[in-house]
Amino acid sequence: MLNHIWLALIVIGILTAAGRDIYEVTQNAYGNDIPWQVSIDELEQSPAGTERTVSLRVTQSELRRHFVTDSFDDGCEIKARVSMSGADAGTLILTVDKGLPARFATMAEALGSEGTLTAQLRRSGEQWRMTLEPVSLVYLKRVTNAAFDIAGVAVQIAIGLIGIMALWLGVMKVAEQAGLITHLARLVRPITVRLFPDVPADHPAVGSMIMNISANMLGLGNAATPFGLKAMEELDKLNPKHGVATDSMVTFLALNTSCVTLIPATAIAVRSAAGSSDPAFIIGTSFLASLTATIFAVTISKLLARVKMFRWDRAEAE
Amino acid sequence: MDVFRSIVSILSAVAIPALMLFFLSYGAFKKVKVYEVAVEGAKEGFNIAVRIIPYLVLMLVSIAIFRASGAMDVFITVVRPLTDLVGIPPEALPMAIMRPLSGSGSLGIMTETMQAYGTDGFIGVLVSTLYGSTETTFYVLAVYFGAVGIRNTRHALPTGLLADFVAFLAAVFFVGLVL
Repeated sequence: MLNHIWLALIVIGILTAAGRDIYEVTQNAYGNDIPWQVSIDELEQSPAGTERTVSLRVTQSELRRHFVTDSFDDGCEIKARVSMSGADAGTLILTVDKGLPARFATMAEALGSEGTLTAQLRRSGEQWRMTLEPVSLVYLKRVTNAAFDIAGVAVQIAIGLIGIMALWLGVMKVAEQAGLITHLARLVRPITVRLFPDVPADHPAVGSMIMNISANMLGLGNAATPFGLKAMEELDKLNPKHGVATDSMVTFLALNTSCVTLIPATAIAVRSAAGSSDPAFIIGTSFLASLTATIFAVTISKLLARVKMFRWDRAEAE
Repeated sequence: MDVFRSIVSILSAVAIPALMLFFLSYGAFKKVKVYEVAVEGAKEGFNIAVRIIPYLVLMLVSIAIFRASGAMDVFITVVRPLTDLVGIPPEALPMAIMRPLSGSGSLGIMTETMQAYGTDGFIGVLVSTLYGSTETTFYVLAVYFGAVGIRNTRHALPTGLLADFVAFLAAVFFVGLVL
């Protein structure tokens, strides 16, 4: 299942990007090689070899013509640095800021030029015309950049876990040797023997799972992950088929991903920052929604374990 | 609600120091050589984190490709008739789809949606409830299974995604009830 979804995300992503790019090429959606008519007042007396900052005005109809869309309500004004190579020609470096139509930012991103666009400037008669660098395959470039960037981010996330993992696994080891984790497991025995029938009631896995779920409920994400990974390690010790998820692991993760939330701290913080009059209003609704989801998740994990394609006895060990 | 909220926030502030104090002093009381044993346990932290890397890289890359391509807009157009039937507000659909895929992505969508539709209306409360009530399923699966080298995840993903879907329906229901 995970195989198929993983592959589908990549295939759908790349094909969509390619499809959009082909469509944009057929439409010439960035107006490649079509000169823009611009008006620049201050440029009349600029001799060759000078460099100055100017302001270009682009009309609404020029925007619509180049970007092949009716979605512009107004023209725009672009700040640029111009260096004249002759009386009638020069090079422009346009500053792409937030005030400009988003297409310009997309072009700068696709050209990898970080907030600027380069254009050739020419005079024909009374009119100034600029020609921007051609842009194509915007989405495929985005996909490539995203893939490379996130590969680095993923490693940073994993490395970032090392410290917090080391700290908690150290503390947990002490608790384990002192027999605390086993005590904790015995305490919740009536619940866990039903949830995890293939885990012995006083196994250290149970203690770690309880710690993980309690930490999640309190919104202590930093502590929850080490407890959870410790629990997975303990569950894997009971696993006769290496590389295959056991029923208990799936039930544990079902509990974990849908986990009952007492305080959704991040969501409250964002609401507060966005100017909500009652940021904590969602505590009740989050609690009820996650409680419903948790009950459902545990039930469905038990039911799906019996479906033929997911059955334990059909899964092959590595 | 306020009392409940202050109890929980005190609990989450106190939990970590209290737990550390209790575990370590109980260990010392039981004659465990606390520092030596803790160091031994801490060594595992490095191995687990490193073991996760390949799983996390491949999972996050496939999600990043999906997001960067703009395939979500296409996906939304496809599932829209179905979700309209169930009575799901279309404004919250991007959030519902992004939530299991990406934590940072859904955080961004939650913020944008609240900026566009307000924080305290039905849509604003719905998206923040949704963010608060579920986890990033794909990330959790990659990290937790990665830590123990599980490649055949069996029914874990369908379970997680169905639970996310139910959380969404429940959020629509409960938010509708209180607003």
